[in-house]
Order: sequence, then C-alpha cells, then structure tokens
Amino acid sequence: MIFTLGFLGAISGQISPGELTTAHSNLEGMSNCTKCHEIGDKVHDDKCLDCHKEIKELVFLKKGYHSNKAVSSKNCIQCHSEHHGRNFQIVRFDESNFDHSKTGHKLSGKHTFLKCEKCHKGDFITNDELKKKPKTFLGLDKKCANCHTDFHKGELSNDCASCHNEESFRPAPGFDHNKAKYQLTGAHKTINCDKCHPVKGENENKVQSFTKTEFSQCTSCHEDIHKNKFGQNCTSCHSTTSFRKIVNKEDFDHSKTDFVLMGKHQKTDCRQCHVTSMTVRLRHDQCYNCHSDFHKGEMDRNGLRVDCIACHNEKGFIPSTYTLQQHNSIGFLLEGSHLAVPCEDCHKTNTEWKFDILSTRCIDCHKNVHGSSISSKFIGNDECIKCHTVESWDNVTFNHSTTDFILDGKHKNVACRQCHIKTTFSGKIIHLFKDLSSKCSTCHDDKHMGQFTEEGSTVCTNCHNTESWKIQNFDHGKTKFALTGKHENVTCSKCHKEVENEKGKFIKYKIESFKCADCHS
Amino acid sequence: MKKLIRITVLGFYSFTVVALLVILVKTGFSYYTTPIENRFFHDMHVSLKPSGFLGHGYGIVGTLFIILGVSLYMLRKRYRIFSRVGLLKYWLEFHIFLCTIGPILILFHTAFKFGGIVSISFWSMVAVFISGVLGRFIYNQIPRSIQGNEFTFEELQTQNLALSNQLKNKYQINDSLLNKIEKLVEVDSYKSISIPVLLPIIVKDFFLKRRLLKELKKNLTRHNIGNKEQKNILRLSSNKIVLVRRIGLLSVMQKVFNYWHIVHLPFALVMLIIMVIHVAITIVFGYRWIF
Repeated sequence: MIFTLGFLGAISGQISPGELTTAHSNLEGMSNCTKCHEIGDKVHDDKCLDCHKEIKELVFLKKGYHSNKAVSSKNCIQCHSEHHGRNFQIVRFDESNFDHSKTGHKLSGKHTFLKCEKCHKGDFITNDELKKKPKTFLGLDKKCANCHTDFHKGELSNDCASCHNEESFRPAPGFDHNKAKYQLTGAHKTINCDKCHPVKGENENKVQSFTKTEFSQCTSCHEDIHKNKFGQNCTSCHSTTSFRKIVNKEDFDHSKTDFVLMGKHQKTDCRQCHVTSMTVRLRHDQCYNCHSDFHKGEMDRNGLRVDCIACHNEKGFIPSTYTLQQHNSIGFLLEGSHLAVPCEDCHKTNTEWKFDILSTRCIDCHKNVHGSSISSKFIGNDECIKCHTVESWDNVTFNHSTTDFILDGKHKNVACRQCHIKTTFSGKIIHLFKDLSSKCSTCHDDKHMGQFTEEGSTVCTNCHNTESWKIQNFDHGKTKFALTGKHENVTCSKCHKEVENEKGKFIKYKIESFKCADCHS
Repeated sequence: MKKLIRITVLGFYSFTVVALLVILVKTGFSYYTTPIENRFFHDMHVSLKPSGFLGHGYGIVGTLFIILGVSLYMLRKRYRIFSRVGLLKYWLEFHIFLCTIGPILILFHTAFKFGGIVSISFWSMVAVFISGVLGRFIYNQIPRSIQGNEFTFEELQTQNLALSNQLKNKYQINDSLLNKIEKLVEVDSYKSISIPVLLPIIVKDFFLKRRLLKELKKNLTRHNIGNKEQKNILRLSSNKIVLVRRIGLLSVMQKVFNYWHIVHLPFALVMLIIMVIHVAITIVFGYRWIF
C-alpha cells in the first residue's frame, strides 16, 4: 500500500524527462505537460506562442528574427529545447557569429564589434513586460535614441542617422553644412566641428551646441588679434580660405597699422616686405628689419647697428640725408673743392662704396701726379697740402723762394706748368721739379742761334734780365765795336741785319768785320 | 560436442554484451560525457537524445529484449507445456543474456539522464539486474539435477557418502586421513547459520576451503600419494567441501531463494509497469520513433 502510494506520488511528480529551465520552472508538474505538449503530436509552435505573445506578435507583423525565413521555417523546439535542467540555456547562439541581419536590423560599423549585452539590456527596453525578462533580446527599437543618449540634448532632430552613421559618432558624414544657416567655405570645410561648436561640460553634462552658435561676425569664433584696429569686417582683408591669404590688398589702408607707408614704401609691392605671409607680424622699428644693410655693417658704431634712417629716408636710398655738418663732425671737414665733390669720388672704389675711411690724407683719394719729380724736401711723404689747398688744385701755395730758383721779374707771373710740366715729342707729359735746371735755356729758346754761346753755354743774363726781354744789361761799349758819334743814334737794325742760314733766319749780332765799307757803301 | 556448442553459445553471449558496450560507448562517448545542460548543442544530440533516432531505438530494442527474455523464461519455467523445450538452465542463460543487453541498451537510451518517473523504471531495472546476478549465485548454491530440479537433503547426503567411499576405495585414502577430511567439514557446523550472516560465512568458507585443501595436500604428500592421484583426491575433496557446505546451508539457501523471488519479481513488475506508463506517455505525446 505504502509502496503503491509512493509510486503514484513519484508518477505525479516525476513524469517529466528532466527539469525545465528556470524560465519555464513554473510549468513543472504533470498537470502542465499539455501546456507545451500537444497530445499525439509532440510540441506545437502554437503552444509556445500562446505564452510568448511578444514573439507571436512579431511573427504576425513580420518583424524581428523569428520572422526571417530561415528561422520561421523551423519549429520553436528545434532551437529552444527543454527538459535539460534548470541551468540549460534555452536561448543560446554563437553571439560572435550571429547574423544580425536576420533580425531585420543589419549591424554595421561599430555595432558589429559590440557585445550583445551592450544593447540588449533592460535599460534600453521600453516595454515593461519585456523589461522583466533578464535575458531577452526583444524590446529594442531601431531608433538610435533607444540605446544612445541624445548628445545634442534635444537641440537637433531625433533622426540621428541623417547626420551620423554607425562607423563613428564623429564625424557626422551625413550632415551637410550647406543646408545650415551658415555655409562652410574655404578652410572652414576642413576644420574640426569642435572648433566652432565646442564641447562643454563633463561626462553626462557634456553638450555640444550646434544651433546656438553665433556666426554673424567672424569674431564670434575668431579672436580679433587686431584689437578692432581695422574694424569688425574681417572679410575686407581676410577670406575663409586662410587667415594668411589676404584679399583686396590694394584697398588695405596701411596707415591704420603701426607702420604708415611713406615715400617709396607707398609704391612698394606688399610682398617686398611681407615675404613669407601677409599676416606674419613684421618688425618695423628699424629699417634693417626689412632692408639689407647696403653698407655691410660699415656704419655700425661700437658694435651697435646704426639704423639707415640716420642717412636715408623713404624718398629713396639716394640721395642720402647725410649732412655736411654730420660729415664735418666725424673728423674730416669738407671744404673748398671737396664741397663740390660727389660722395662717390671719395667713397666709391670701382663699384664698392666705402665710408669707413679713417685716413684724412690727400693721397688716399688723390693721385700724386708729380710722381717722384718733386724732392721729398718739398713734398714730404706725398703731402700735397704742402703746395696745394682744398680750394683748388691750381691754387698752389708753394713758396718758390725756398728753392734754389727764386722767382722774380716776369717769372713771378708765369704759371708753374710753364716751367715744370713739359710735353715730350712723343706727347708724354712729364713733371720736372727737382730735375729742372735753373739755366734760362732750360725754358727759353736761343733766338740768337748760338751767337753768344761760349764754351757750350749761353749766359742770357749778360744782356737780359727777368724783368723784361729788353737788353738792359747790354753795354755796346764792352763789345769789340764801341759806339761812338753818330753810331750812338743809329738803330740796331741798321747794322745788325737779318740773315739766314741752315738753322733759319736770325739777326746777326756777332759781326766779324768792322770795316766801314762793310756797312757803308 | 555439446560442451563445444555450449561454450560457443556462452562465448557469443559474452562477446555480444562486450561488443555492444564498446560500440555504444564509442558512438556516444563525447555526447554522454557532455554536461546535460550542453547536450542540446552537441552534434550528436539529434540522434542520441532519448527521443532521437538512435537513442529512441536503443530504448525500444532494449525493452523488446527484456520483454522477450523475461517472457520466454517465464513461459518455459511456469508452463508445463514448455517444460520439455530445452534445459531450464539454458533458458536461464538466454534470459540472462537478453536481460543484460536489454538494460545496457536502455541505459544508453536514457543517455545517462536518471530523472523523472522513468528513473524509477530504470532503477528498478538496475535492481532487477543486480538481484538477477545475486539470484544466479543463490541458484548455484542450491544443488540441482541436470533437469534443474533441486536435490533433497537425503539425496545430497548420499552424494556426500559416495564421495567419501570414492576417496576411500578408489584412492585408498586411509581412515585416519579421511577422518581428517570429514572433520574439516561437517554439515552440522552450518546448522545454526542465519540469513544475515550468510554472506560472511560464504566468504569465510571460500578462504577456509583453500586452507583445508592446502592442509590435505600436505597430508597426501606425507603419505606418498602420487601427483595425479593427489589432484583427483583434491578435486573430490573440494567437491566434498562445497557439497558439505551446500548441504549445511541448503535449508537457509532455499529460504533465501524464496525471499529473492519476492524481491526480484516486484522490481521487475515495477520496472514493467513504469516502462509501460513511460512508453504510453511517450506515444501519447507523439514520440513514435520511426512509426
């Protein structure tokens, strides 16, 4: 009896071939068999779907994984077996190789790398009934916002996919800025969105505003590095292509800058100064900030650069504004003829300018035309100033009386070059000073054809002096024929006739014969 | 010749059992060693699950073997009209054979999942199987004729006396030595044995028999009895010792065997009833194998 009762108890309690899963544990017991099993026909899908209404509804609506042909062609029990114990995974599949497209929602981009539970979790399920099922894969909406928090905090449309794709939240390839109120041009097309639409806040409070971005002025985003010096209309000079690419250069008012263009600077091409970029800040307090030092540092003083403005201005490099007073203040007084001498005569050698001339000696600029013809007694070491002045080359201040040949008489009025500069037969000009003989014949011709030459030398001073060519020193009484009587009043030419020989015509003063008949007939 | 046929048949039985075990294990080792929760996902699940083609087939064939083995033996044993069909001993062996491979097939049909009502049937089957093995042992302890009929106590005493005379006359065992053998084992020494101590006594006797025969061999050697004769004497003595024990335990064993029937049969009936319920439920729920 006891055995029979126990036996019947066993039958009623343990007719099941194995424990049901936890999810179905409420169906344990003999009275529940037919809730799943169909008498005479194993397990029917209808029985499953009677309970799993959410699946039934999806199948009816032809939605979800169970509506896929490959799945709907199977019976529930083929994939979801039972009686394998409480811990049996009634829903089990290879998550890493699951073809999500069968659910009607093909995963792409980053979604393909996500773990199932990243999306399939209670937090994202809106249906309260499904939410209670801890391992359900149902109840998710395809809408992005179903799983993703609205980064834009409701500022933009709910249709995330109109801008974003599944590859990455950033960038938003579907977004067309041309359809926005502010069209992107130039460099704006390539910059990161964050530059104009900065992300503010931290963690959950992080927000990036797109519709509230001010764009009426460039300075809404860009810092006005000119401190409003040029006004607010940045586009009058800049474009969106590049801040450094300046437009309307010809209209630019340079006088608004710290460097007002004057003189030749007004005609200078911008690029002459703004070589690398129009927007690179140029130093302009010194000329050499732009200009190369023509003088190659020659003007530097005590190791410091002297700016060009000391001698030049914007009107041009030439002429220099260097003044006579400035020149006179540096130790070389410009006076006399030097006042009229162009700078280059002294400061330019061939093509090279040289200003740093320490010497003040004439010979450094002037050539010693006399060569070695003047005795060092008078010229010293090429000391021109001993004879010449800066007033004029011809204004010779030499005291001839310091020589052995004192100038007197008509000699006083004779130009130096009359005696000291000769031209040779070949045309060569030679200077004669120390080598110049003091004999009259050195300078004067013998008009008498050697009649008074004695022993190879003719002493003109016997008859003439330097005062006049007239023969004031001649005394006819000291000749062989002293004049007496009527002879005293007879003109010289009565007796001294012009004769001619092979040397030419001349007046014959040396008469060999003094016979009366020689003159008188 | 008869002996050869018998050896062949017993060899076939043994080989079939071993071969079946090997095939079944080899076929489903991976599946059966998979945790129950994971078996559904095993490649062989569809085939080896209890309702699968092979699994279900094991159950059906195994059940048929058991039914056949039990019913044939029952018919032969209980119905007079079949009493002349073969020796009961051989039918018992055939019964044991079928009721060994049947449970083996059913064991693999369960896929080693012992739960639910079917488990009662299964464990009943196991109990029947074990009790069958035990019954076979008890059966052996009760001396029977070739026809399988039990000997009476007097018949056995006559056999014992015959053995003593054989030892005395054929092998010229002197009285003193024979007395020693007789003293070694006495029927009266088993008189006070009760069922609970039966098993320990049998085990103890096993070792006692070895010791007695060893002692006897020493005596035979001392009496200069030849090796061949020694062997025959020892065999006869061994038979005598076993026979004496069986005579001594005859009434106890007969009681035990009666009790055994009380156990073996109900287990078999429980197994049968639940099996029928199990099969019925299976069919009701639509699991009809290939049918």
